[in-house]
Amino acid sequence: MNKIRKQYFPFMRAGIQSVIAYRMNFIGFVIGGLVYCFVMYYLWNAVFLSSGSDTFMGFSMTDMVVYLFLSNATGEITFSSVSTDIGEEIRDGSISMRLIKPVNTDMSYFATEIGGSIIRFVVFALPVTIGIEIYRYCMLGRIMFEPVNFLLYLLSALLAYIISFRVNLCFGFVAFYVKNLWGIGILKNSIVNFLSGSLIPLAFMPEWMKTILEYMPFSSMNYTPVMIYMGKYGTTELFVRLAVQAVWALLVYGLSKLIWFGAVKKLCVQGG
Amino acid sequence: MRRAFKIYRILVAQNLKRIMEYKADFLTGAVSFLINQAIGIAFIFIIFSQIPALAGFKLEQIVFIYGFSQVPKGLDHLLTDNLWSVGYFIIRKGDFDKYLTRPINPLFHVIAETFQVDAVGELAVGIGLIAYSAPNAGLYITPLSVTLFVLAIPFAALIYTSIKIITSAFAFWIKSSGFIIQMVYGMNEFAKYPTTIYNNAVKLFVTYIVPFAFTGYYPALYILTGENPLFNIGGVVAVSIVFFVISILIWNRGLKAYESAGS
Repeated sequence: MNKIRKQYFPFMRAGIQSVIAYRMNFIGFVIGGLVYCFVMYYLWNAVFLSSGSDTFMGFSMTDMVVYLFLSNATGEITFSSVSTDIGEEIRDGSISMRLIKPVNTDMSYFATEIGGSIIRFVVFALPVTIGIEIYRYCMLGRIMFEPVNFLLYLLSALLAYIISFRVNLCFGFVAFYVKNLWGIGILKNSIVNFLSGSLIPLAFMPEWMKTILEYMPFSSMNYTPVMIYMGKYGTTELFVRLAVQAVWALLVYGLSKLIWFGAVKKLCVQGG
Repeated sequence: MRRAFKIYRILVAQNLKRIMEYKADFLTGAVSFLINQAIGIAFIFIIFSQIPALAGFKLEQIVFIYGFSQVPKGLDHLLTDNLWSVGYFIIRKGDFDKYLTRPINPLFHVIAETFQVDAVGELAVGIGLIAYSAPNAGLYITPLSVTLFVLAIPFAALIYTSIKIITSAFAFWIKSSGFIIQMVYGMNEFAKYPTTIYNNAVKLFVTYIVPFAFTGYYPALYILTGENPLFNIGGVVAVSIVFFVISILIWNRGLKAYESAGS
């Protein structure tokens, strides 16, 4: 354990440092995300006004606000750029420096990224959560914060992050074949946004679609932790959801390993 | 002016050759933007499955506004995409020197250099949605209104371009302004929906400060209702010209402040 800590801690520290070094980019994306949340806030506000009812498919406006902002914050902490990073490293050959180190290659990426996620959690997700709770207190007149749900949320968000990381890792290997990584990245993000429920809660979708999506890996990447935080699941459903997440985490872990072992044998670095 | 057109033609032709070489690349880009848009639309349909009208607009009208907002956006995306690179890395890597050594206007050169066919995805969705929704949106159609409406499109695109010029020009002082472009450009989300859903502060903001409302909602509102052409269409023209002049002033000041980076 101590050895693992010693091996991977520097990667994690590098991840933290790189977020701090490129903090302006980080701030730009955070503000971009918040702008988006506000557009959606007004849109939902209009939807609620137009529907003339206090609840819309089981969500109150307060629920909707919590959902929007928490889903955005969860997106920030489960954010993984490993697909572009690995693509870049394959292209410029610096991946060879990673391969010769006596560490697990994918774990070294993981450690770097989790460093970034910790920063994003502390400076973004945590303040957003506090903001959400203040908002709920103002709207409902009582404290809605549930420590148990918060802890379960953290556990679920960690699983979500592992899945997101592994899915992105698989995606990074597409860089072997496709050059327009940027276009592919946009495609991936919009599909994930839709299927993971961060654009529109899965609860609003037609029943058959919702059932399918709930068992796909995407809902495990964002929807599940947010719904857990909001206390929308009963005890049984909660365990089912966490189990689904865990199973997907294992499956995509295996898949990424499989692709990696196949790809690394073919890897051919020019120069470097 | 004729010389500029000739140069532009040559540069675009070069771009098209590159696209023919990397067909798969082009397809990935265009399809990505197409699907990205389709998902945005799915969202509107899901909402409307539950409510008859949003802020007084029916489904076809909201789809029309949404579709129209993608046309100026796509047009600007098609023509001036290289400004993103100025903000993100051309200046930071010291590559901007290249534009200064050529006997043409650097801003023109930067813009002419890239012809971003990925934008076909946005344009196709925009035009498709307009075609889909127009018959049932209750449009106000007269020869004058259609002329004014079509006329507004290039000016609306110019608003996008001006905002990108301003935000990318910040890189002349701070080396890398990609995040600022990203942040400000992202506010075009506001243009897709009626401004009546926002509160007054946001409304003023997207009308006058970062005037994306003029790239989507206002011109679309004119063709939907025929009301207030002076503001809804005249505003697009006036705002785009004002912003374009400001953007040129800022860009030129930036050029003076530019110090080459790198070696």
